[in-house]
Amino acid sequence: MSRRAQWCFAGWIFLLVACMTPAWAADAGRLVEKDGKYVFVESMDPATKLLLQRAVKQGTITQEEYDNVVRESQERTYLLQPSFKAWYDRGFNFSMNDNDFFLKIRGRFSFRYTQRYRNEAYRESGDSKNYPELLGVFGDYRAGRSGDQASTFNLRTARIYFMGHLFNPDFKYYVQLAGETAENAQAPGALSVFDMNVTSTHIPWLNVQVGQYKVYFNRSQINSTASMQFASRALAMDAFTANGLNRRDVGITIMNDEEVYPVTYYLGVFNGAGPLVNRFAQFSSEEPTEGCPGGQTGGNPFPSPAGCPTNQRNLNANLRSNVNQLMYVARLQANIMGRAGYGEGDMAYSETPQMVVGGAYAYNPGIDTSTNNAFVGIDLANLSVRRQLAALGNGHMLGQGVVDFSTWTLDYAFKYRGFSLQAEYWFRNVIRQNKELPCMQTAVVGGPCTVFAPGQFGNATGWYVQSGYYLIPRKVEVAARYAYWDPDTHSGGDLIKQVDLSLNWFLSGTYDHQIMVTYSNVAMGQGGFAIGRSAPLPAVGATFPSGTVPLDARAGTLIENAIRVQYQIFF
Amino acid sequence: MSQQCCGFMFQRMALCVALIGLSSSCARLPYTTKVVHEDARVVVVLKQEVKALIYSHPVQLGPAELTDILQGFSFRPKQRMPLRWFAEENPPKPVFRPDELEALTGRLSEGLRAAGPGERVHFELHAPGLNPSLSRDVVGGWVAVRESYLYLTLEYVHVQIPIRKADLYDYNYPTPPPPPSEYLLYFEPGRFWVADQQGVSALDYRAFLNAPKIGASPGP
Repeated sequence: MSRRAQWCFAGWIFLLVACMTPAWAADAGRLVEKDGKYVFVESMDPATKLLLQRAVKQGTITQEEYDNVVRESQERTYLLQPSFKAWYDRGFNFSMNDNDFFLKIRGRFSFRYTQRYRNEAYRESGDSKNYPELLGVFGDYRAGRSGDQASTFNLRTARIYFMGHLFNPDFKYYVQLAGETAENAQAPGALSVFDMNVTSTHIPWLNVQVGQYKVYFNRSQINSTASMQFASRALAMDAFTANGLNRRDVGITIMNDEEVYPVTYYLGVFNGAGPLVNRFAQFSSEEPTEGCPGGQTGGNPFPSPAGCPTNQRNLNANLRSNVNQLMYVARLQANIMGRAGYGEGDMAYSETPQMVVGGAYAYNPGIDTSTNNAFVGIDLANLSVRRQLAALGNGHMLGQGVVDFSTWTLDYAFKYRGFSLQAEYWFRNVIRQNKELPCMQTAVVGGPCTVFAPGQFGNATGWYVQSGYYLIPRKVEVAARYAYWDPDTHSGGDLIKQVDLSLNWFLSGTYDHQIMVTYSNVAMGQGGFAIGRSAPLPAVGATFPSGTVPLDARAGTLIENAIRVQYQIFF
Repeated sequence: MSQQCCGFMFQRMALCVALIGLSSSCARLPYTTKVVHEDARVVVVLKQEVKALIYSHPVQLGPAELTDILQGFSFRPKQRMPLRWFAEENPPKPVFRPDELEALTGRLSEGLRAAGPGERVHFELHAPGLNPSLSRDVVGGWVAVRESYLYLTLEYVHVQIPIRKADLYDYNYPTPPPPPSEYLLYFEPGRFWVADQQGVSALDYRAFLNAPKIGASPGP
């Protein structure tokens, strides 16, 4: 959002608040306690009321006359009152035109202290496979290396929400702006639009949501970070989003009302490219001759298709060939007992058992992990897509050319009297559109391949199970979680295992105000082959654009122990 | 990953499970045993006490008697320090309005007749909330009777409670009802508001009902 737009927005909010001054609202006295007819019972001026009561006692007026004048006074007050209300209840609420228009403004802030300890492997080799850093305009790979200790304060969540309905309560809107930075961010964050969508709930079995929002795919991502049992999601949870790039996307979903029907469906179509972007952000490089890949200065890429001329021009990122692709998502969920909802933990202290099972499938074709040219994985193309992949830990897939993601998930949740159990399983079938083994080296420019990748990239799978119990109902909870993730089923020694323990204090008995102390242990294997980071590195003759030493030359298991102390308020 | 590391993590997992198992005998809340009445305006349910409290239920208290009793109660929200200093300045407000008593007392009488010795009678009075599609206005609490004492505990007094389990606009965010608030209760005439054998404030309802009545002031 530009600075000018921010000022305009702030001015609009100021005018809105100024117009709804308490003096204006208080004249009718309707905001004291109640809505509807209940408001007016107490709205008569106390002095008038006293005089009338004394008049009845003295016999000046009859009880019937008293009743009539009170009723007429109430009706007059009702007719004179402005048709808007303003109050605070989990946000600043503004209701206009007899609730035809409603605006709720909320803010969420979480402040985190992290004390982190890492083993020597983080210093020697670091992580170049799951969470590589992509730097420079060419997005060359860097390994995330660090010292053994880190002590950081972090503004983990900084959100502003605008939500409500327009015209009537069944046409809803939702806007979420975020200004936070990730825990390991290397640059300051900026205000960004996380959610912007409208929803029609006119037909309970056919709600329609359009815009940008979190894809209804897997339980751990559908749930808000405000209602978790741990300070952070497990790493595996983030890796298995529907599109593989981000938990949010732009598209349309039809669904039925989860609180009305025992079985809920969600059917969605999205760009499949992440938030605030579409498929035009993905591109490849092509020479002027159609079908001949381009992308480098020194000559044709390899293996050069038969009939392609020698290097014609240095053309990069000039072809958008998969803009006709979309992502398709389907989710089905059954409330076996009660309605467990998506929030983690049994905050509500369910009196009866709540059990839900769900499953979902997402097909996201045509993800360009890099252009299929000589400098596999380090060319200019697709920094947006590649950085999203790396940010969620799917860095193993970088450099595999165009791939199709076909992701399945199953989930389960149970809650009863403060106890909760939740689990989820994911499987992602990664289909490379270039079926042959990735070519890593040629003897000459455009020449036949001399060295191939050691094996095909496999699929990805993972699961987690977590449980919690409220030691003091609605106030103090202990929780534990174990997460398992295999980023490449064809590789060994690359498993990522995570254990978390958390002690949570919910100060107001809701998710809105909380302090969490979460201990996490993450063991991240660095085995397996990753293009551009493992030997054999890409090369043309004696030219090694990725260098001659692989980033995993001294790979070991990366172990991290961290304690996160987080304060969060949602107001 | 090394076997040593795996073993370390599984040890921690076992520790977590043990911790959760041990904690499962901790604090509990009363739970619903019977729904006496439920409609859009009034809900009355019986809840089993988790502590060994023995009441004198079932009890025969008619709607008229309950109306006499309940209209004498007033309240102030119990504030924490330092807000308590300022809250003391506010006079107590009546708990129930006449229309609320009219809706409640019949069902409450029914609940007291149906309750067992270990059960308390919970009630909720519902009205449209400030945003009726989002929340409802609730006056709620529970009553119980032991010997000549009537105990009233208020949990909500005109509190906006969400209608849905998840936010109406933020679908991914659960909205459990706010936990019960604490209120300071008063009763007029004050001489019937006494402490029982355990020092808990209660209404000596038999003495109150047997006392001569003073005419009510006219008007609502």
